[in-house]
Amino acid sequence: MKSLAEVLCDWEAVIGLEIHTELTALKTKMFCNCRLSHHDEPNTNVCPVCLGMPGALPVPNREAIKSIVMAGLATNCKIQKRTCFYRKHYFYPDMAKNYQTTQGPVAFCMNGRLVLEVTGEGATERPDSTIGKDDDGSYTVSIRIKRIHMEEDAAKMVHVGGKEGRIGGASESLIDYNRCGIPLIELVTDPDLRTPEEARLFMEKLRQTFLALGISDCSLEHGSMRCDGNVSIRRRGDVELGTKVEMKNINSFKSLHDALAYEICRQAQVLEEGGAVLQETRHWEPSGRRTTVMRTKEAADDYRMYPDPDLPPFNLPDEFIEQCRARMPELPDAKRNRYMKSYGLRRREATYIAADPKTARLFEEAVALAGDAPLMVANVTMNLVPAVRNVQPFQVASISQLICSDAITFAQAREVLQIVDGTTDDPRQVVDERGMRQCTDAITMANAVDAVLAHSKKQINQYQDGNKKVIGYLIGQCMKASQGAGNPKYFGKILKERLER
Amino acid sequence: MMYGLDHLGAVQIARGVAKGDFSAVEVAEASLEVIEAKDGDVCAFLQVCAELALKTARETDARRAAGKNVGPLAGVPFAIKDNMHLVGTRTTCASRMLEHYESTFTATCVRRMIDAGATPMGKTNMDEFAFGSTTESSAFCKTRNPWDVERVPGGSSGGSAAAVAAGEVPLALGSDTGGSIRQPACFCGVVGMKPTYGAVSRYGVVAFGSSLDQVGPFGRSVSDVALAMNALVAGGKDPLDATSRDVETNYLAGLDDSVEGMRVGIMGSLMTHQSLSPEVMLGLKDACSVLEDQGARLVEIELPHIDSAIAAYYVIGPCEAFSNLARFDGVRFGYREPGHATLAEQTAWSRAHGFGAEAKRRQLLGAYLLASGVYDKYYYPAQQVRTLITADYQAAFDRCDAIILPCAPTTAWRFGEVSDPARMYASDLFTISSNIAGNGSISVPVGLGRDTGMPVAAQLQGPTFQDQKMLRLARALERGVHEAGLMKAAAIAPAFVGRGR
Amino acid sequence: MALTRDDVRGIASYARIALTEDELDEMCTYLNAAIELLAPIRAYDLTDVEPTFYPMGELANVMAADEPDEYGCMLGVEEALKNAASTRGRAFRVPSILGFKEGDG
Repeated sequence: MKSLAEVLCDWEAVIGLEIHTELTALKTKMFCNCRLSHHDEPNTNVCPVCLGMPGALPVPNREAIKSIVMAGLATNCKIQKRTCFYRKHYFYPDMAKNYQTTQGPVAFCMNGRLVLEVTGEGATERPDSTIGKDDDGSYTVSIRIKRIHMEEDAAKMVHVGGKEGRIGGASESLIDYNRCGIPLIELVTDPDLRTPEEARLFMEKLRQTFLALGISDCSLEHGSMRCDGNVSIRRRGDVELGTKVEMKNINSFKSLHDALAYEICRQAQVLEEGGAVLQETRHWEPSGRRTTVMRTKEAADDYRMYPDPDLPPFNLPDEFIEQCRARMPELPDAKRNRYMKSYGLRRREATYIAADPKTARLFEEAVALAGDAPLMVANVTMNLVPAVRNVQPFQVASISQLICSDAITFAQAREVLQIVDGTTDDPRQVVDERGMRQCTDAITMANAVDAVLAHSKKQINQYQDGNKKVIGYLIGQCMKASQGAGNPKYFGKILKERLER
Repeated sequence: MMYGLDHLGAVQIARGVAKGDFSAVEVAEASLEVIEAKDGDVCAFLQVCAELALKTARETDARRAAGKNVGPLAGVPFAIKDNMHLVGTRTTCASRMLEHYESTFTATCVRRMIDAGATPMGKTNMDEFAFGSTTESSAFCKTRNPWDVERVPGGSSGGSAAAVAAGEVPLALGSDTGGSIRQPACFCGVVGMKPTYGAVSRYGVVAFGSSLDQVGPFGRSVSDVALAMNALVAGGKDPLDATSRDVETNYLAGLDDSVEGMRVGIMGSLMTHQSLSPEVMLGLKDACSVLEDQGARLVEIELPHIDSAIAAYYVIGPCEAFSNLARFDGVRFGYREPGHATLAEQTAWSRAHGFGAEAKRRQLLGAYLLASGVYDKYYYPAQQVRTLITADYQAAFDRCDAIILPCAPTTAWRFGEVSDPARMYASDLFTISSNIAGNGSISVPVGLGRDTGMPVAAQLQGPTFQDQKMLRLARALERGVHEAGLMKAAAIAPAFVGRGR
Repeated sequence: MALTRDDVRGIASYARIALTEDELDEMCTYLNAAIELLAPIRAYDLTDVEPTFYPMGELANVMAADEPDEYGCMLGVEEALKNAASTRGRAFRVPSILGFKEGDG
């Protein structure tokens, strides 16, 4: 098969996403008061409503409706005050009533959009001719969102006797209704995405947005956020859409990217060999790095949808929507801009820190404690914090100050952070107790440099032949020799003096 | 006990138990004896819950002994249509599908009756899943009309109506989707009320048509029915039924007040409808005179779209029934036919053999009407027609306080006399419109038919949420009928008088 | 246009109700008669008439608090499973969904 880059020169991919997110931050299910939990024994968080027992009736969860309104506001959707729930019928035992309670043509949130910034390697997937790019190759693109609607999740089924728990060949299936009725919001994009990277970024941005809203833990791994991709390809310049293939079982950002990339290349090969793409649902197999057919769709399913008479309609008052708006936290984009403006962070750092609410909170609290060291706090947050599990803002602040004042080196900071990880110990005390102060004694440092140079004839020659970069290696050797206590800038200065003498 | 149950209504029993004239246990035992003596001939009950009845009655007596409030229905025995859950009983809906179904929770309406001090005696026969007008479609037995055991009791709540008419219990609960309380009340010569939609919680009542179903009481007098209504709405809106409303009203207040000057709407074309038998027409004429004698004024009204009510009903009802009955797939509960290799086959055959003919007919009709392309031809217009019928009622109620109309075209017919579904459906003409519009309605016995000797009833319909006013007119009608010597007040069927205590 | 036997077969298969050939005939007759009864629905000019999906007037925005088991409705696993025809451990059990043949997989 050709590479994605080759394929995308001749073909245009048209990608749409359907993203389901469980509102895991809530305490109860969508239409009953059963506890939400992923980890309990099977069929323990159930009641007549979510088991679909005869005579049971649904009542919508107010917080779930607030959550979807917030999701809509965060994705620039128009909030539909007048809407209602529908019954969508299909016989399958994971849906206890054999119909799913979902929404009809008018969802709570309609016609939104998210703006993506595509940078770096990923931006090269899109041929330059199709979009205006900046000098560094990056570009921004606005992706329209058709709708976000409210519905309920299905039960979990375990297929017994088949390969890898799959349905084919299974002799029986076991059903656990704990998940049945968990509030689920489904976002459907317009087919505006053109590369696997854009799809991946959309999903990532949506996840960051929902995490900031605090409505879900958005775990792809555990299935609280799930994505189906629709992809078709057409010759560049063509207007008519190709045959659409739906892809399931995408449970990581990488899978989303790779499955789409594979599928685009597969379709191109089929078409270039004179074949036809079939309308089908395909399953991504991460182990084999390929998609396989799940089922072929001949006719559209008829779900016989109609407004659910058990659920009175909605006519959301303005105050309800305003309450939701008032509860909206600062979203990642706004946060990033503020970090750049108020703290002078570079875009890359600001974006990284703003993306995750926990990281952002740690950063902001540490900045407040550290006073005027936001850049160093950002540096520590971005480069040292990911390696530890649980550090306090005051620890990050204090470590940043220690580095700024040249009391310890960055390398020592890494060690200190690991020592205080999971404790409430004061980094200053750790530094004092262990005598980890940065070495500033000129003679000691010069001796260290000389010792290193004595064993580095090859590098000295390289340097003197004009390969100035080799000094980085020598600094590293000096750091090692000083057990991280020496200041790398100092070492650099002394090395330069020696080598250019 | 000083008096036999034959001569005591709910009001008198509750008063007697509260005063200590007799105990709740004595009343329950008397009711059990009467059931034992009579039900072999009536077959009103599918299940008698003697232990539960005595236990509940003992609790009522213990409350009284402890000086606590015994409730407005203290010690009053009541029967429950077998589509309502009561923990400790099976809920079969008179279907093979649910032959062994054990209630896992108690319906709000049943709970409220018990909370008011009433004693549950058992579950009554009905048309399977409430589809029918004769109770003949029960999978288990044929309930007989106590006035003539060769005739049908009406339906679908035929067992409840017959139990009250035979004097087995003074009160019974029924559900009314298209006349299923009023028509059997009419056939069995008792009072049966369908409250305004939303007044009584549907939680725990196995759904037939969710936007049409309403629970209501049967009694031998209007006062007994009003007393039961007080219990059913006590506590207001049910948090477990999103369509229920706060209507805490004392239905007994002013019940006996004069109706002098109240306006009763009359629609000529209905009162002389071609489908009416002469004896029913005569009975209605008497009812009108009686109301005038009581001081009410008759005013001509029009309901221009009422002819289309049957069609609208036979679209909306089956569609809602189709989805409400989809949950009976043999997985979580209900009949499961063994020996099928695939889930789909197992489901299809379990449903084929678990459901009776009429239940299957209605579901398939609904499944057809909801199909894409068909929905717009029937379901959507039916809901538009509903708008027209509702508007007709609103306009009519600008001119009157209640409307009088027939309840059924004839008195109770003999078993097997009407078997064509279409003719059966047409007999619902007079009751269906208030399920379509949701307003309250009540059937009041007004005499015995000249030709058949069977009870004839008039139906009163009131504006939505003004059921109290409707009850006052019903009481006036009942009083007038008694005063005019047309029928004995609060009588039980003559053949069943004096059997048991 | 009247429904054919094939139409009815399709509807029954969708609604998961198995019909014998005789039943199919009866059902076909019934459905066509019932649909005839529904004709008045289409007898009025319904242009600009809003549908009434809910017979409850202005009732809207009914929502419940996010409080676990506020009304004590949750069922223990035994209660949950007690009406099921087939269970395994704590789970409901159904036969093979696609059909299990010896030697499959």
